[in-house]
Formats: sequence, structure tokens, C-alpha cells
Amino acid sequence: MDIEPFMLRAVLTALFLGPLCGFIGVFVTARRMSFFSDTVAHAALAGVALGFWLGLPDPTIPMILFSLIIAGLILWLKERTALLNDTIMALLLSGSVALGMVILSLLKGYRGELDRYLFGDILSVGWGDAALALVVLITVGSVLFWKLNALALLTAHSDLAHVSGISVRWLNYGFVALLTVTVALSIRLLGIILVTSLVVIPPAAARNLARSLRQQILLSLLLGLVGAGGGVVLSYPLNLPSGPCITLTLVGLFVVSLIGGRLQRAHQNAS
Amino acid sequence: MDIAFRSPKPAAVEVRDLHVRLGGNPVLRGVNLRIEAGRMVALIGPNGSGKTTLLRCLLGLQKPDSGSVRLLQEGPPDPALLRRMGYVPQRLQLDPSFMLTVREFLAIRRPLTAGWFWRPSRQIDALLHEAVGEMDVTRLLDRPVAGLSGGQLQRVLICSSLLNEPELLLLDEPTAGVDTPGEADFYELIAEVHRRRGLTVVLVSHDLSMVYRHASRVYALNGVICCEGAPEEVMNAESLRQAYGIHFTPYQHHHSHSHGSHGH
Ligand SMILES: Nc1ncnc2c1ncn2[C@@H]1O[C@H](COP(=O)(O)OP(=O)(O)OP(=O)(O)O)[C@@H](O)[C@H]1O
Ligand SMILES: [Mg+2]
Repeated sequence: MDIEPFMLRAVLTALFLGPLCGFIGVFVTARRMSFFSDTVAHAALAGVALGFWLGLPDPTIPMILFSLIIAGLILWLKERTALLNDTIMALLLSGSVALGMVILSLLKGYRGELDRYLFGDILSVGWGDAALALVVLITVGSVLFWKLNALALLTAHSDLAHVSGISVRWLNYGFVALLTVTVALSIRLLGIILVTSLVVIPPAAARNLARSLRQQILLSLLLGLVGAGGGVVLSYPLNLPSGPCITLTLVGLFVVSLIGGRLQRAHQNAS
Repeated sequence: MDIAFRSPKPAAVEVRDLHVRLGGNPVLRGVNLRIEAGRMVALIGPNGSGKTTLLRCLLGLQKPDSGSVRLLQEGPPDPALLRRMGYVPQRLQLDPSFMLTVREFLAIRRPLTAGWFWRPSRQIDALLHEAVGEMDVTRLLDRPVAGLSGGQLQRVLICSSLLNEPELLLLDEPTAGVDTPGEADFYELIAEVHRRRGLTVVLVSHDLSMVYRHASRVYALNGVICCEGAPEEVMNAESLRQAYGIHFTPYQHHHSHSHGSHGH
């Protein structure tokens, strides 16, 4: 059986980013940052548009940069104003989508590109993207493991983290930066609209089955791997965009985990 | 006037002329405080009197506008000093979607057990053994922290704050959300830790009867320390009126101390 090279690139990228999103997602969901993840993903649209406008052949870098700028802006506004978190994020989400759309409309001829960024397109994944995904997996993954205790404590209670000698502010900035890069990079596979599903669904499904943080992290890694890899593999023969395929695979896994969790508890109660 | 000369015991906490404004309001207006090492003391005062703010200053969570804080004879709170202190917050902000177990929560706070993720639970338990037994949380080790009851959580929080053998333990209203019998047990537990370990305990509390029973010194705060002394000195109607600013009838206790004049 021959594997088409574009398929190989896409599957590899999915296998790199799926577990990473699952891992970081454990902290994203517990820290109630799903909307944050959604916001930086949508900000990437403006990054894509700016990339085209600047005539870049590949908008990956402007996408990541613009998402990082928006992430920084969220933190800055949160510290400097009395605005609520939600409000700030809704403002920046809609603002950057509008900016992206205006630029794309002005450029002409790029409207057709829109779909692949909104819903993901495995054909657009190049070797460069796969390599970048591997680099991000290794660096972000090792930082997460290295800072695991500090992150867990920050999630439990930020004052306790401070008292334990953790620099809460920098840890938070670092976490946000890692999350933003991971999410922006995953847009190639899932698209802007659905990328948060890869961050949110694996840890939620893992929570249904896990009895400890360790189990939740390991299961979430695994579910991210299976969901992203499976979705990409399914999307080709079905001739569907990869984003919806990955998300639906994840939703399927979530339902299985829900039932599995129920059975597990019923079994426990019985014995 | 040398304070050290008058009181031979070293101070675990020394606060001089501390001023803090929050949102334009002066919350602490020149707090002076000296807590002798090895004591169990209580900080009382009405809602909004700045107790939490003062504690946050001691923990380095709040920067004072002016004045100084000196902890354990060394200086203002810094990471090295904070490692020698324990802090029991009122509650955790833990989301139920986070499956952190009690064992893991304890393990992440101790350098010795930092590698918990890669190690079997048995090894972790052996390393946690002492404080876990002392606080009687062995049965809770496998439970998710987010699913504990108020009283169980408090025990776990104290246990975790004792892991690194602190010299100074700060507790902010540790029994908020604990039922009354549970509350008495809880203070008994803290008093026992205090006796056994000989550390300095600073307790913020609204429960004057518990304060009366367990604290060896009481500080009444209302923007400033308006009175301090042994519980029977501070907890008479006059000084409580000063602290709370309204007429206040102290609790009736059923044991037979003679103390300040108050009538019913
Ligand atoms: N971030 C803030 N901004 C503005 N004002 C604040 C802030 N935090 C606290 N305050 C005010 O400072 C005062 C002291 O608050 P603090 O929490 O220290 O009181 P407290 O003695 O702990 O009260 P309680 O018994 O209710 O816990 C209150 O009037 C409160 O409204
Ligand atoms: Mg308070």
C-alpha cells in the first residue's frame, strides 16, 4: 500500500500535535481557558490575511505571531483595565476576525483560501509544518513536564503557588505562550473554528475515566493522539475536510468515555 | 526603647508602620505588630478590617505602600523565607474537571516527591507518611481534591502546609465552611500541631470562643492594631468595642475564668 506523501505529512503532524493539545488541554480546561484558546485561534485569521497581504507564500509564521500578539493583548488589558476576561476576549476575537475578513476581501482572489483555514485542510500541510509540529511537540511537551508541579499548583490555587516560591506571573505568561503556539499550529489540521475541540475534548473525555491527574494526563495524551490521527486518516477516503473529521472522532471518543465512566462506576459500586 | 531588650524571645513576625491602600481606601493605616516565635496567636477584627490584607502582606502577595515586614528575624517575604512558612488559604479554586488527587496535591508541594508522575504511589506514600499520619488524611489520599468536603479539605491543606516543616504557619479563617463540631476538632488539631512542632501559628478567626481557648495572645485589628494582649485582656467588652466599633457582647463562656467586666 502506498501512502501519498501529503497524507504522510498530515498524519505525522496530527500524531505530533494531537497528544500535545491533549496534554496542555488538561490545564486549559481546569483553568477555564477554553474561550482564551478560541480567541487566539480566531486571531490567527487576521494573521493569515496579513501574511497574504505581505505576499508571503506560507502564512504559518504571521499566524503564530498575530495569535501571540492577541494573547499578549488579552493579558495586558486584563492587568491594566477593569474589564472582565470574557469581555476582553470577545472584543479581540470579533475584532481580529473582522480585520482578517476585511483584508481578505480587499486582496481579491483569496476568498477561496478561507475555507481551508476555517475548517482545516490536510493538503495544505507541508513538510515544514510537520517539522515545526515535531519541534513544538518536543519543546512544549518537555516544558510542560518540567513545570508540571508548578502548573498543577497554579491551577489549584495561585496564592499557594506564589507562597511555594513559584513566579506565578511568569509561569502564566509562559503557559499562555505555549498554548498559543500549539493552537495556532494546529489550525492547519482543524481550522480556526474547530481547533479548540482538540484542546478541550481529550481532557474532558479523560476526566470521565481517570482517577488521578496522572491518569487524566496520560489518557488525554492518548485520546488526542487517536482523535487527531484517526480524524485525518478518515478525512481522505471520505473526501471531507480534516477539521470536522477530527472533531467528530473526538466527540465519538467522548461519548465512549462517558459510557465507560458510567460502567466503571457501576462496577465499583457493585463490588 | 529596645523591644528586643524587653522581650527576650525572638520575633517570628515583626511589622512596622504598615500602610496599604486598596482601590483608594486606606485599609491598613499604620499597623505595628510583633509576634513572638513559638506562640499560637489569633488575629481578630470585623469584616473588612484588613485581616486578609495583613496576611497577604506577610506572604508577599500584597505590596505595602509603606512600612516594613520582617519575618523569622530575616527580612521581608522572599522565596527563600516563604519556603520556611506554611499558608492555609480559605479554600481552593479547584475546578472539578481537574482530577488532582490528595496524594498528588501533597506530592507536588514537596521537593522530595517532585517526581511523583513517574513513581508508583507506594513510594510517594512512604515519603509523605509523617504529615499524612499526623493530619489523619491517609484515607483521603486517593480522593480527588475537588470532591472533598470542607473539613476534609482543611485537613489536607494543613497537611500540605506542614510538609516542608514550616517555622511559621499562617491560617486565614481556616474553618469557614466547617460545621461547629468540626470546627472545635479543627482548632484542637491545630493546637496539637502547634504543641508538637513548636512552630509559630497565626490564625485569623471570627470564632472568639475558639480564639479564647487556644490562642496565647490576641491582636484586634481595625485598620490598626487597636488592642493586643492575652485573650482575657483583649476580649472584654471595652476593647472589643474599640476593635469592632460597635457595642459588642463577648461570647459567654461556660468555664470559670474571672475576667473583664461585662454584664448580661
Ligand atoms: N482588591 C481590592 N480593591 C479594593 N478594595 C479592596 C480590595 N481587596 C480588599 N479591599 C477592601 O479592603 C478592606 C479590607 O479587606 P480584607 O479582605 O483585608 O478584610 P478582612 O478583615 O479579611 O475581612 P473578612 O473578615 O470579611 O475576611 C475591605 O474594605 C475590602 O473591601
Ligand atoms: Mg478575610
